[in-house]
Amino acid sequence: MSILELLTTDFILNAVIGGLILAILLSVLSLFIYVKKWSFINVGISHAAFGGLAIGYLTGISPSITGSIFAILVGVLIGFLSRKGKFHEDISIGILLSFSMAFGVILISLSNNYNSDLFSFLFGNILTITREDITILGIFTVISFGFLYIYFQRLLYCCFDEEVAKVSGVKTDFLYYSLIVLMAIAIVLSIKLVGSILASAMMILPTATSSQVFWHYRNIIISSIIVSIFVVITGIFISFEFNLPSGSTIVMVYSVIFFVITAVKRFFK
Amino acid sequence: MITIKGLTVIIDGKIIIEDINLDIEDGEIVAIVGPNGGGKTTLVKTLLGFIKPSSGVVYIDGKSPKEFIGEGKVGYLPQKSSYERDFPVSALDVVMFGLINEKIQKSQKLKRSIEYIKYVGMEGFENHPFGKLSGGQQQRIMIARALISQPKLLILDEPSTGIDMVAQENFYEFLKKINQEKGITVIMVSHDIGVVANYVHKVVGLNRKLHFFGKPKDFFQTNVLSQLYDSDVNLVIHSPECITCQHFTPDKLLEGFKH
Repeated sequence: MSILELLTTDFILNAVIGGLILAILLSVLSLFIYVKKWSFINVGISHAAFGGLAIGYLTGISPSITGSIFAILVGVLIGFLSRKGKFHEDISIGILLSFSMAFGVILISLSNNYNSDLFSFLFGNILTITREDITILGIFTVISFGFLYIYFQRLLYCCFDEEVAKVSGVKTDFLYYSLIVLMAIAIVLSIKLVGSILASAMMILPTATSSQVFWHYRNIIISSIIVSIFVVITGIFISFEFNLPSGSTIVMVYSVIFFVITAVKRFFK
Repeated sequence: MITIKGLTVIIDGKIIIEDINLDIEDGEIVAIVGPNGGGKTTLVKTLLGFIKPSSGVVYIDGKSPKEFIGEGKVGYLPQKSSYERDFPVSALDVVMFGLINEKIQKSQKLKRSIEYIKYVGMEGFENHPFGKLSGGQQQRIMIARALISQPKLLILDEPSTGIDMVAQENFYEFLKKINQEKGITVIMVSHDIGVVANYVHKVVGLNRKLHFFGKPKDFFQTNVLSQLYDSDVNLVIHSPECITCQHFTPDKLLEGFKH
């Protein structure tokens, strides 16, 4: 089947549209994860979503909703403990990540609703993206970009030096928690693409890759978007062609690009 | 400009600063000196409204620090030897951060930022990665960022950290110049009394309690140094008049100043 023929198939078309929206959204958010060195927070939140999913399976409420709420709560709690609880972020995340995973495993073992959806949740299946998912993703992306359009420079200033930004009158607490909430929702929405285990990778790899070539944030964002679009489309078609899990294939393609660029950069240095 | 009355700060049950009384006039350059753990940074953070006094009051132009800072009248340079080398912003971006709350057009922000970059002697570095500049260059850019909002008060926490002696002296000369040209009150924390003494109007000697507040000349005349550091101290004075920069003991300091 040619690529054009594949695109006439509904579920492939949905996967491509959903994948493209996510590629753009995660590429932009990725910049802040990178400069804040929040990759571990990201991992913490994506694993926390697992606990939320388990609640969904046990109670019969939509796992996406319980996953989102749980991820946001854990994200805000990580932020709160790091800022006010005098724990280093790594400690708060380590504790909450273990708690959420343990909580999720216990709940799932109690649930009789365990089924193959759980595998999709852990490792992603982009081919299950529906029109409804795309609409939710689209609305969230528009809201996120609206927020970033207004607060982009302030967020960057906070990441650069929070104390100085505060003295300049920037509402640093508001921005800190807003970024965590955005990140938590984006992670939950990207679970269908790459699964909860690899969701954090899609928020780290874009900027980590682009910053090997570009140093300015504007160029990093533009190149991250272009590379992510390429990776998502390539990943979807490779996974379809060779019957591989979509999430793992996308992350593998991205990782290969990252390693190649890093190696080439070192070679020419 | 700044009035501090009976200020005590207790953190985790430990008294960090105790019963401080100070009056700092408009347009003065004041150095806060003292040993490590003596409460210098705590005093600065209290002035910035980051730390609440356990007792006593702090007023800046008759307002609480939070109110005063809310009006965007404070420029702040934190204690930092260097920034992330790969933080993805240019020197120009950093200076423009200083105008983040100004409701003016982007083109005006750009014009003003370029003016201030020129003012701090960093013309030509606008589009350089900020993280790749030297410590002294980063500091100048950070000063431009702090000054661009036209503050009334400039607070610097250990501004000489991470820069060499020549760059330090150039920096203090520069501070003196902006203080004279713009009439900004400058408060800075410093370890190096010998260097800052030549550039400041007043010295605050702080080691939990206020041991001294007055002119640098009087600071060296009194026995405050040994009280402040709880031991005999030898100083190195880097006076512009001093050609060989000799070592001085406190009782020879006045003589040293005459050179």
